[in-house]
Parts: sequence; C-alpha cells; structure tokens
Amino acid sequence: MNVQQLFHSTELFIDIGRDVLNAVSGRETLQIPLERAADGRLSEACKAFVADRLRSFIDRKAWQPQAKAYCAIGARGVSLRVLNLPPATREELHRLLPLQIENEFPLPPDQLAWGFQVLTRPKPAGSNGTQEILVAAVKKELLEDYSTLLAECGADAVFTLGPLARSYICPQPPGRYSVLHLENGCSELITIEGGVPIAVRMLACGRDNLLETIAGQGNGRLEPVSVAAPATPASFSGTVPAAREQTDTGLSRLTRLINGQSLGRRVYVLGLEEQSRLQFPGALAAALGNGTECEAVQLPADQPGSAAIQGVRRALERDPARLPLVLQLKQAKAGVRLSREAPLKLAAVAVGLALLSLLIPCGEALVLKSHLARKLAATQTDQGRLIIMDHELDFLRYLKENEPPYLDALLVLAKAAPPGTRLDSVSMNRRGEVSVRGSLRDGQQVADLRSKLVGSGFFSAVSVEEQAPTPDRQKVNIRMSAQWKAVGSRPVPSLESTGRSPDRSLPAGPQPPGLPGAVEPPAPAAGPAMRNIPR
Amino acid sequence: MRPLSQKEKRTVRLGAIVLGAYLILFGGLQVWNAAARRYSEYQQLLAESRSLRTKVSLYQSKSELIQKLMKGFNMDPARLERPTVVARASAAIQTAALGGGVQIGAVHESPGRPSSKELGSIQLEAAGPVPALLKFVQQTQSLGYPLIIDSFQIGSEPSRPGLVKLNLTIVILDFDQWKQEKSHA
Repeated sequence: MNVQQLFHSTELFIDIGRDVLNAVSGRETLQIPLERAADGRLSEACKAFVADRLRSFIDRKAWQPQAKAYCAIGARGVSLRVLNLPPATREELHRLLPLQIENEFPLPPDQLAWGFQVLTRPKPAGSNGTQEILVAAVKKELLEDYSTLLAECGADAVFTLGPLARSYICPQPPGRYSVLHLENGCSELITIEGGVPIAVRMLACGRDNLLETIAGQGNGRLEPVSVAAPATPASFSGTVPAAREQTDTGLSRLTRLINGQSLGRRVYVLGLEEQSRLQFPGALAAALGNGTECEAVQLPADQPGSAAIQGVRRALERDPARLPLVLQLKQAKAGVRLSREAPLKLAAVAVGLALLSLLIPCGEALVLKSHLARKLAATQTDQGRLIIMDHELDFLRYLKENEPPYLDALLVLAKAAPPGTRLDSVSMNRRGEVSVRGSLRDGQQVADLRSKLVGSGFFSAVSVEEQAPTPDRQKVNIRMSAQWKAVGSRPVPSLESTGRSPDRSLPAGPQPPGLPGAVEPPAPAAGPAMRNIPR
Repeated sequence: MRPLSQKEKRTVRLGAIVLGAYLILFGGLQVWNAAARRYSEYQQLLAESRSLRTKVSLYQSKSELIQKLMKGFNMDPARLERPTVVARASAAIQTAALGGGVQIGAVHESPGRPSSKELGSIQLEAAGPVPALLKFVQQTQSLGYPLIIDSFQIGSEPSRPGLVKLNLTIVILDFDQWKQEKSHA
C-alpha cells in the first residue's frame, strides 16, 4: 500500500442479487449467499453474516475515509417512468420531480429511493421544448437495509440499477432491444429503446428451469419440468403469490411471463453457462417468434465480477464523475457530491505544507551549506584581486592628476600674447611654476599681456620680474613668472579663436602667434632687428 | 515458557510504547539540535556571502573607471615589468620622437627617488618644428608607460632657424611601490 492509497477511499463494486451478493475490490472477489425474509428483505442473521464478511473484505483502517461502494440492485420492486418536464436546471429538477413522482408513483417520494436521468435522445415532434426525465424508484426501506449494512462495514453506498448496468456491456443497437439475465430461480429483463430503459421486470423463470428445456432440446423434444417459481414482485408491495405451473416447460413459461411484451428485434442473454450458450439463444428466438433474434453475451474473462459489476465499471470508465442513474435515499442531498475524502485530503495537504515549510530551511541548510562554504572560500581567495584593483586605481588616478597642463599653459600664453611679441624661452615644471622670457614693443603691451594672463583664470600670481628696454629703445625685454592654478580651479582653455577642437591634439599647421619659432608678424619697417635673449 | 497473562501483555505493551516514545523523543531532540546547529552555521555563511556581495558590487564602478583610465593611458599597470620599464620607456619616447619628425639630442637617465615612488627619470633634448614638438609632448602621455613630464622648457634655437629646442625631464613612476601600500578599500 502506498501513501496515496492510505488517504484515498477504496472503490468497491457490489451486485446485490436475489440469492447472492457479489463484491469486487480491485482484483479480489467475494460471494456471499443471501437469505431473505418473506417480504424480500434480508433476514437479521443474514445481515450479521454479510456485515461480518464484508467488513473483513473491505478491511478499512481507522484513518482511512469510507470506501465507496457502487451497488447494483436487482429489478425486484423497481419502477421506471419517463416524465416530460419543462426545461429546468438540475436544482430546479430536484424541486419539480418529487411533485411529479407523487402523481406518477403509488407511494409518496419520501417513502421511495429514487433517481433520475435527463434523457438526451431526439425529442418527438410537438414536445414544445420539454425535457424527458427517466425516473427509477424503489421502496426506500429496501435500500436503507443495504445502506445501513454497508455503512457498518465502512462503505458509503451508491445505488444503481443492476439490469441497466448489465446493458452497458451489451451491444447497443438503435431501436428497441432487450437484455435478459438468467439467474437460478429467476431472470431479469430490461427493455431499452433509443438508449432509454422503458421497462424492467423480474421473471419467475430462472436458469435452472430453462436448462431443463435445453437438455430436452438436446433429445429432440421439450421436456416438461416442474417449476417452483419464487415470489415475483411486480409492485412495491413486495412479494406476489407466484402461480405454480406444474406442467409448464421453461421456455413456454418464460414467453408466457413476458406476456406479449415487445422485446424488440434483438434480445441479449446473459448468465448462460458454456454448454447452453450455443443452443439457448436459438431456442429462445424460436419461442419468442416475430423474427426476434437472440444472442448470448459472454463476459470478458479477464475482468472479475458479475455482469452488473462489469457494467458499472464500464459506465464509470466512460464518466468517472458519476453513474448515469443513481438511486438516492435522501434527495435533499442529491446533486451534492458528498465526499468525506475532501476534508481529509485538505487536512493532509495542509499538514504536508506545514511540514514542508519547516523542513525546507533545514533541507536547504543541509544541502547547500557545503556548496556555499566552497563558493565563499573561493570568493575570499579572490579578494586579493580586489586589492590589486585598488592599487591600479590609485596609481592611474595619481598619473592622471599629476599630468601637467603644459600644452594648456602654452595655449593660454599664445592667446594672450599681443602681435609682435617674441618669446625666447618658456620654462614650466610639474609644480606649476612658469617662467617666460621674451620681448614686446612697449610697456603697454607688457601690461596687456600680464592682465590677459591674469584674466584667463589659468594663472595666479603673474609677476613681471624684469622689464628692460632694449638699447635702441624699440622694444622691451621682459622676464615674467606665473603659477598655474590647481586642477579644478583653473578653466580648460579652448581653441575657439583658432577654430580647432578643444581637445589637446595639435595637428600640424600654423602655430598661434607668440610661440617660440612662430612666424613673426611683419615688423615695422623702421623697427630694429630682433635679438635673442640668451638663456 | 509460561504464556503471559493479559495484564502482563498490557504491561509489556505499555512499556514498549513508553520506551519507543522516549527513544523517538531523544533521537528527535538530537536530530533537531544537529539540524538547528547546521542551520545556524548556514545562516552565518549566508550573512558573510551577502556582505561579500555588497563589497564586490562596489568594485563594479571602480572596474569601469580603471578600464577607462587604462584605455586613455594605453597602459595596463599590472603588466609593467619593473626591471625593463625604464629601458622600454626610453626606447618608446625616442621612437615616438623620431616618428614625429623630432630630432633627439642628449639623453640622460638617472635613478629615481624611492620616496617619490619614482623608478627613474630621463632628461632629453629635442629640436624640431613647433607642431612636431607639441605633438611629441602630447604623445608622451599615451606611450604605454607611467610617464610624467617633470619639467618642460622650450626655446628658440639660434643656430638653426625655424627649429625650436625642447628640454624635457620625464619621470617614470614605480607601480610596485603602489602595490606595497595597504588597500584603501
């Protein structure tokens, strides 16, 4: 038994016949003989015996939900009606149907166990949009006995009609056809038209009677047999005194009991034994006449259980949610699929989730701790690379911050120099000390140069250390010193006046005036020749 | 062996249940303690890894800045080899000068001052047209070596009209001295 089976209810299939109860659970089968009282209900001794056997067969544990028992009951006391009702929802049907049942059936609905099936066959002309409902009903006390018995054994009973269930394992031709099931001492006959059961009967003629007929046919004649017919209830009143036909043959009694009821073109016969399976259908067809064809249906050998059980199983395979026709003891609960599994399942899921929520952190710690420790150790080993990155960044920053702006200073100086200026030497160092030697025309130009250098914002502390006229008084020799400002406080000079990009690339071309080696503007014709001032 | 009475059986059963419950509780406690200890250690490791992740994430921007500076200087400091960096830098300077049409005069190399984190310095004289000289000065920054121009002197060349004379003192920085410093991170 696995965990899933622990919390799921067992499915049980039961065929409650007149003399025998057949039960199937999985591949296990159980057969219990039944003893009935005169009114057709189980005797007290039989109930105790059946309960004991079923309890051990179901073997339900205390923590397991109740087993679900699909019970196929016999045709004894069952009545079928097809009702026409206005279109209504399923809930509305549960309110309408009791009223209709009260009209159609001899007993009030609260004394009946009944079920219904909405028919989907093509509606006859003039139906005015009504819907056809098949209603099956049986005396409640009969099913209550079974239901109580099964509840004591830990099973929740779901009742359906055995003859109808048997029809699911037979071919289902169009039109009218019948299914005859032979048992010892009695037979059950259901007639179906267009997929809808229209009549269900129990006939007081069983396999044991009919086999005598077959045996007689084997000798070329029909043997008269003495039929001790059991009670044949034809109504809810229970048993009806059976007419004993001392000289009736089996088949003729069967045809007489059928009493001219139209069985359709085909009759399927269940419950035949191997030796009679070939002969009986032909004999029955001959006895019924009217071109009726009879066919013996053989049950699949690989599936356990009676024909009714196999029919119920087949119906559930087609629609696992519900059987087509379920006889309900309490109609108030109809349509509500009571399941005792649901709370148990929810509780199990809740407990499982709670345990999971507790176990996941512990499991994570157990599983991932070593992996995390390895990764952490590897990452901590790699932390040395971060220190190298720090060194590299410091180094490159230092290099960037100590990159002296020599070219910027030259550019500022060139832009500030008035025409005619000659610079003999420009010296600068990393600390920002600038020293310029050159010559200008007069003192006014010296003042202009100085004020422009100061006004550029690039230099601070611009001083003219020496200003001396040349011997011919045509020029003024100067020696200036300055200090460029720190990074951030000095502007970045632009090359707007020369039309060059503001970056520091200096492509080959004409130089700004004033730079050493620059082409001098044309000197006044009367001006003295320039001279170089030695360093 | 005499068969046990119902009372004795019940006593044995009760004793087995009590013993089983004790063993389950005791074992469960041990397992619980071990799991709790392991969980606590795991949480500690998680906290360490979170802290480390925060620390490493700070280096993302640093890494980008380093990439940018290395691209600007055309240099990877980690690949500088201390014994040969001065010679290679000197050769690169002279190659750049010659390639730009600058004539190199006297070149003097001298060892640097360790206190200034310098590997050495190079004094060189160069002469050439002004554009070529200025381009040479600009190229010095991106030769692929940690060079800083310590002093810059430009003047006319009386003996060679049209040419300008340039005296440079270039300092080569020592990256190994940065490596020996403690991390600021």
